[in-house]
Amino acid sequence: MSTHAQSAGPVDAALAGPAVIAARDLRKTFGGGSVVAVEDANFEIRPGEFISLVGPSGCGKSTLLRMVAGLLDRTSGSLTVHDAEVRGPHHSVAMMFQKPTLLDWRTSLENVLLPTEIAGRVTDADRHRAMDLLELAGLRDFAFSFPTQLSGGMQQRVALARLLQTGADILLLDEPFGALDEFTREHLNVELMRIVGEVNATTLFVTHNIAEAIFLADRVFVMTPRPGRIAGIVEVPFERPRPPSIQQGAEFNALVSRVRQTFGDRG
Amino acid sequence: MTDSSDLGPVPPGGRTRGVIARHVAILVTLLAAWEIACRMGWLDPLFFPYPSAILVGFWRLYVTQGNIWPHLGLTMAEVLAGFLAGSALGIALAVCVGLIDRLRRYLKPYVIVLEATPRIAIGPVIIAAFGFGWTSKTAIVMLVCFFAPFVNTLNGMVGVEPEKVSMFRSMGASKLQTFRKLMLPSALPEISAGLRLAMASALGGALVAEFIASNAGLGVLITQYTGTLNMSSAFVCVLTLSALGYFIFRSMEELDRILVFWTDRDRTARVSRRRLASWRARMGDDA
Repeated sequence: MSTHAQSAGPVDAALAGPAVIAARDLRKTFGGGSVVAVEDANFEIRPGEFISLVGPSGCGKSTLLRMVAGLLDRTSGSLTVHDAEVRGPHHSVAMMFQKPTLLDWRTSLENVLLPTEIAGRVTDADRHRAMDLLELAGLRDFAFSFPTQLSGGMQQRVALARLLQTGADILLLDEPFGALDEFTREHLNVELMRIVGEVNATTLFVTHNIAEAIFLADRVFVMTPRPGRIAGIVEVPFERPRPPSIQQGAEFNALVSRVRQTFGDRG
Repeated sequence: MTDSSDLGPVPPGGRTRGVIARHVAILVTLLAAWEIACRMGWLDPLFFPYPSAILVGFWRLYVTQGNIWPHLGLTMAEVLAGFLAGSALGIALAVCVGLIDRLRRYLKPYVIVLEATPRIAIGPVIIAAFGFGWTSKTAIVMLVCFFAPFVNTLNGMVGVEPEKVSMFRSMGASKLQTFRKLMLPSALPEISAGLRLAMASALGGALVAEFIASNAGLGVLITQYTGTLNMSSAFVCVLTLSALGYFIFRSMEELDRILVFWTDRDRTARVSRRRLASWRARMGDDA
């Protein structure tokens, strides 16, 4: 289990401060305990960290994310966000899904303003902020377009702006660009890294693409299925933001091999 | 007549005017053929009156005698009242059922049985209960107009993508907010389709109800005229119903286009431009 030792590496020590998200023996079973979706997960995530959860489908990465979002109850163990046990959806946590989940009858701007509307009254300041976020997502010219007028990639950008409009400091992304083509996805990953860096959010990013997981993250949680567990944590020693070209480097390839090995360790 | 398709781009309205002219030509030809068929004795004018006689009949029923108006008014009132009450009830009940899972489970078998029952079979029962007047007709139209909006509203609400529901939950939305901002608008295209179905059957429902037993309405008028072999007048009533049905169909289509604009490309673009304009009027020119 050489990968486990990695979690106490130099990058971890460099990120000081209390944990934003902490799990202790976190466990989730379905069907009265017959299916173990997440088995005894233990981790701490620091402010501003970007974590990728990578693994094949059925490894419990989405389940883990939904528990952090407060959308799913845990079976046992402890899960805290900002030192408080998670007991349901929390305003400091926002989630983005694989589908854009935009409302077709609302313009981009109105979609971005949805979280504000749900929280209370919408002021002109909120509207300007939403406009700024659309600008950040590169969509200012499409603020008054409806989702059906936008491409899949643009729709996910709107969803990203909406995610930021919540004002949450913890962002959960469940394969957000998984339904898009390779080129759009790569482009949006670079954009995501820039935007998340600008707002300095703590991010949990779920993917089944190893290169994508490493490219984006400070640390990669490698998850394996049946039972779903975190088999290892791989540190990524590059500064963020990073150019896509680092993916051709030898050091990057070594990281890819290490993640693959972690899967391999489990047979 | 020139064929505009050979002349390249057509000025706006030019093609539609050509199409209308062609439609009128076809209609006139058909009517002329009918008139000739009657005059040559190929069609029995006793059952298929001359188009010219029908035209005269229109003048008689609408102007000189003017006796169609109260019947037309009554039938329209029955249709409208029954449609509004029936579809409102259908949508309201579907919303309740959609929001309360337990209610859905217990109500479903009844709905299926009732839906499988031909609505008009209950017609005589309703007439026996409510009498020969407009109340029984309105009640029958209500019954006819209940199911399509009910079933469609329920389907629309149940069919909302679970990820969207999760998104609302993760934003901390209340049940009411989720209903108002997600479930209801998501179901709107289906609700609108249900309303169109209901409206399409409303007119037929009212007529059949009037055929069963009544003292006034277009259905009664048709029965009376046919009974006395006054076919041209009966045809005036039928054609009036055609026009009414067409008018209803078109207005429901228009309502659909306004209500669910986002399913239509051009309309979406238009609404988009309108939103931009109102933002500029409000916030200044920074968009």
